[in-house]
Amino acid sequence: MRFLKDFFHIIALPALLIVAWIVWSSQSTSFFVPTLEQMSNAFSSTWTWNRMQSDVFPSVARLIAGLVLSIVIGIVVGLLVGSFRWLRQLMEPTMEFFRAIPPTVLIPVFMLLIGIGDDMKIAVIVLGAVWPILLNTIEGVRSMDEVLSDTSHTYRIDGIARIRYLILPSAMPQIMAGIRQSLSIALILMVISEMFASSAGLGYTIIQFQRSFAIPEMWSGIVVLGLIGVIMSFIFQIVERSVLKWYHGQREMENAG
Amino acid sequence: MTTQPAEHNPVINQGSMADTPDGQLPVGLTLPDGEALLSVRNLKKVYQTDGGGIEAVRNLTFDLPKGELTCLVGPSGSGKTTLLKAISGLLEPTAGEVKLGGKLVTSPPKNMAVVFQEYGRSLYPWMRVRENVELPLKVQGMDKAQRDKVVDDALEAVGLDHVPRSYPWQLSGGMQQRVAIARAVAYQPEVLLMDEPFAAVDAQTRADLEDLVRRVWRQLGVTILFVTHDIDESVYLGSRVVILSSSPTVIQQDIKIDLPDERDQLETRSSQRFSELRHHVYEQIQLAKEGFRPDAAKAQA
Repeated sequence: MRFLKDFFHIIALPALLIVAWIVWSSQSTSFFVPTLEQMSNAFSSTWTWNRMQSDVFPSVARLIAGLVLSIVIGIVVGLLVGSFRWLRQLMEPTMEFFRAIPPTVLIPVFMLLIGIGDDMKIAVIVLGAVWPILLNTIEGVRSMDEVLSDTSHTYRIDGIARIRYLILPSAMPQIMAGIRQSLSIALILMVISEMFASSAGLGYTIIQFQRSFAIPEMWSGIVVLGLIGVIMSFIFQIVERSVLKWYHGQREMENAG
Repeated sequence: MTTQPAEHNPVINQGSMADTPDGQLPVGLTLPDGEALLSVRNLKKVYQTDGGGIEAVRNLTFDLPKGELTCLVGPSGSGKTTLLKAISGLLEPTAGEVKLGGKLVTSPPKNMAVVFQEYGRSLYPWMRVRENVELPLKVQGMDKAQRDKVVDDALEAVGLDHVPRSYPWQLSGGMQQRVAIARAVAYQPEVLLMDEPFAAVDAQTRADLEDLVRRVWRQLGVTILFVTHDIDESVYLGSRVVILSSSPTVIQQDIKIDLPDERDQLETRSSQRFSELRHHVYEQIQLAKEGFRPDAAKAQA
């Protein structure tokens, strides 16, 4: 019973939106609003296995590469900057400067410097997605509980052990919050990075459809993007729940007590 | 010292007057060189703030003989936590020194463990009870088989062998503090510092935990410095009570608790001698709160 109810809650709004679209598209004569039939035809004829291999998977691979790099760089640099006050003072103005630059304006520069291959596209993703992780990690390291820190010192848990058993887990709630923000930024930048000097990729395909007035196909590409976003967020939730099991449990306990 | 009723006087530890820069300051019990396990000499801590320096601890001198359970009691705000942090090497004193086993303490020493008041913030919430107790040993590099045995023994000693797979935050406050004590016991320190460990648990749990500390102390022969603001607790637990003055802190008095070694919450606390000692400590604390300064009294004498 509980399961059915949960299922209903998850499915209700998407179903409602699809119904609204069917009703609207059947009334509309606009060229830009495809009907359900047009859309499903376009979807099945466009997103074939071949197209998946040539356009979708490479894009997703770059997305994953960009995210993994952002996470690694964000956490490593965040741990360092968060741990040392002088480093924070040294880095802060510079970081604010680079953070303020939209990565999209650097695409032409990157094309000259790195070329137009995968490296450039991944670099664009990293340049945008690294900030939430980096800044959240710094905050997480800085907001370390003083008693826990003292306790670890008295038990001589220092150096690598201190990072592994104390700093990293204690900053993990903030790090995860940062990663969550980075997911959507990375997805946006994945699309944008494929809009310049590309000949393949999801973003490229959608733009091509748009320019050739293949409207149902364009919409179907946008749906694929949305689905990738949903899948990413779903995977993230599973990971987050297992990594931060203690954190959610503790919060629940505090709220109950 | 101060004038006390002649009868039922507690035994006051005769401290030798240390050579202090200010001349004759009241000091706690001191021992000849090499006999004390832990020695605190002319310890002073001034916190530097924007509004000038705040003197938390003025001058403290005392020794801990090996195997003793000493209680430090003082009015609230008497710099107890500052003192403890300086002893444990977490805080650098402004002047004076702390020596453990003859070696100067500059960072947390290997043979010392600390149990903090805030049990909720001193256990790792991302680790289960067993992992919490095990971690310091793991980092130390003790091998798995030995570690398992030591952790089992420690959990059993504090009566927690039934919850090793729980997370600390799933336990009551008293149980959490038991985990912290088990971790300290497993670490096998020579000196165990306890900073108002039971201030945040309810009265009944507190009595149980007090007996637990006495039991652990007698079983393991560890030297304990127990900081508290609770007068009854200090007399019940200690074999000696060091009374601190109000801030800036000096030692007001250092007395020996001549109660029998077997202590019992009911019997001991209702005994004649317990109330005399309690009365005496209470009186001293009252004096301290009213601003009586043993150092000023000395100067006038």
